[in-house]
Amino acid sequence: MKNIITIVKKDLKLEFRKRESLTSMLFFGILVLVILNIAIGIGQNIAPSISGGILWVAVIFAAVLGLDRVFSNEKENRCIDGLLLSPIEPETIFIAKMAVNLIFMIIVELIIIPIFIVLYNSSITLENLPMFIAIVLLLNIGFSAVGTLLSAISSGTRRNDIMLPILLFPILIPLIAATVKATSELLSGSPVEKYSQWLYLTLAFDLIFFGSSYLLFEHVIKEG
Amino acid sequence: MSKGREMSSSSFLKIEDLKKSYDGVNALNGIDLSLDEGDFLTIFGPNGAGKTTLLKIIATLLKPTSGVVAISDYDLEEHSEEFRNSVSVISHQSLLYNELTAQENLRFYADLYDIEEPAGKVTKLLKLVDLYERRNSKVAEFSRGMQQRLSIARALINEPSLILLDEPYSGLDQHSSLLLKNQLIKLHDDKRTIILVTHNLTFGMESATKVGILVKGKVAYFKQRAEIDDDNFDETYFKYVGGKTL
Amino acid sequence: MKILVSIAASLFLIAIYMIFSYTPTEAVMGIVQKIFYFHLPLAFTGFFSFFVSFICGVLYLVKKDSKYDVYGATSVEIGVVLTTLVLISGSLWARPIWNTWWTWDPRLTTALILWLIYVAYLILRMSIEQDGKRASFCAVMAIIGFVDVPIVFFSARLWRTIHPVVIQKDKIALASSMKLSLLIAMVAFFALWTVLFKLRTKTLFLNERVKRLNNKIL
Repeated sequence: MKNIITIVKKDLKLEFRKRESLTSMLFFGILVLVILNIAIGIGQNIAPSISGGILWVAVIFAAVLGLDRVFSNEKENRCIDGLLLSPIEPETIFIAKMAVNLIFMIIVELIIIPIFIVLYNSSITLENLPMFIAIVLLLNIGFSAVGTLLSAISSGTRRNDIMLPILLFPILIPLIAATVKATSELLSGSPVEKYSQWLYLTLAFDLIFFGSSYLLFEHVIKEG
Repeated sequence: MSKGREMSSSSFLKIEDLKKSYDGVNALNGIDLSLDEGDFLTIFGPNGAGKTTLLKIIATLLKPTSGVVAISDYDLEEHSEEFRNSVSVISHQSLLYNELTAQENLRFYADLYDIEEPAGKVTKLLKLVDLYERRNSKVAEFSRGMQQRLSIARALINEPSLILLDEPYSGLDQHSSLLLKNQLIKLHDDKRTIILVTHNLTFGMESATKVGILVKGKVAYFKQRAEIDDDNFDETYFKYVGGKTL
Repeated sequence: MKILVSIAASLFLIAIYMIFSYTPTEAVMGIVQKIFYFHLPLAFTGFFSFFVSFICGVLYLVKKDSKYDVYGATSVEIGVVLTTLVLISGSLWARPIWNTWWTWDPRLTTALILWLIYVAYLILRMSIEQDGKRASFCAVMAIIGFVDVPIVFFSARLWRTIHPVVIQKDKIALASSMKLSLLIAMVAFFALWTVLFKLRTKTLFLNERVKRLNNKIL
């Protein structure tokens, strides 16, 4: 819908003016990759079953930073009221914010993943690239859907920066576990059949949580 | 259309027995109000009287616990979207994005409200509030008074028939306050219905056609402006709004 | 209320008698297996608690009646306590039997994640002052948390089929006397749940009344 694009464009414009979010997301993601590499042992060959997990830890931690910003730029000057006063439905706000977060995540992943491949000597070939992209997108969608809902909740509390990971990570555990499993298999060179059930799980997660978040969002964004 | 209640169709805005309680507090305890089109209602009242709650309900930001709110016989509950299309809010919060320019802010809202020929409308409004020269400056660089002016432009984007103002004078210096007061007079001249909530007795009384005082969620006082004797009103005002009597 | 407490108390006494005297000691695991009679009812009532909070969450969002918020929050509190005990009892069971403090068995894993989700709920609850907002946010969390449960369980299951574990916890042969003890224990725990629920909600409702009276005076 037109309104979704209006809001997405506005948020992207705001972000690209200062680029606070993207820079900190990127930097933090790279930092995590480096630190974990050191923690596991420099020079050691890190097996794909472990490096798969490391990649997603880095992405998740980086992404949470970006998610935070999604509603904090509406808190200033009570701009969120501006959105609620307009004729658009709350669901429109949800989809727009989710889309913005998706875009941020993809931009950050486009840089972090190549760095990961280099640092961890991982094999993502042209052959398994399509499946890899599928894995990434499935994670992004589930993450952004629940994340947008929970970000709206946490930005309404006093300790909002720490509140978001506390609420979000436990819920995401099955999504992350399935994604890590699928990635590890893919990086080990396994055929698709071996990890396809994990992908079905992420798909189920995405559908269930997109639906629930979409429906519940209204109760979180509006006052009594 | 309205829910089977008898509504006098000469009233533009009709509020009947409006109640709102939340967080254990009875914010509104039965508000009855009616305004004709083109009225300028100023509402005074002590803090906590429910003035902001009342405005928020009319603006659809809050849902009433019970009671009826209707504009031109369109009931709030069933016509929320129409309400939002015809009502605008100006408060002490600007509802503007600091990092966007004046023009970008207005353009954003124009797109949100689906305005025809948005670019032209934006230009017209910028000129109206005398900010056309600064259209490419970020709102962060504006003074409080300028932000307030831009906020007025924002509120006019959708050609509202009802404008709600929640303490717009707070935080403004004398000069900006005068400018705002004149803006409001201009708005009123354009046949818009206005509800102004303020603590500023002088400015509040100037353009009003009706005056009300809210105390503890009820309308304690309501008169046509023409019927009010200015000399006595000071007393009345302080009786209701002034410090607590123990 | 007093009747309820005495019923619950007597059920517990009966249960404990039955568990320790009536039922024979299990052949393979010895006396440690008796934890099972607590562990399983704890898990069931814990899960039941979270289910109640899910229903209360939905009811609150639909009806906006604050009593559902109180019921929902109480259920979560009790649920967290019960789940903590599930984790502890599971751990105590695992150690002597399988020589490990923790097993990533699907049910225990689900319990752990549920614990994390609902403790987060409680932390959220503590950080919001306004009643209405707190009630709405917590209702949403209770719903989202519970919706996650089947997914968590299935992914843990899936993990297990891929990493078959030597532990065959679910294959305990239950003699009929054991089944009876288990049943009594279940009922005892549900009675306990009801007692806790009523006590806690009573306290919370009184709190609300005090707050409202305070507001009136001020």
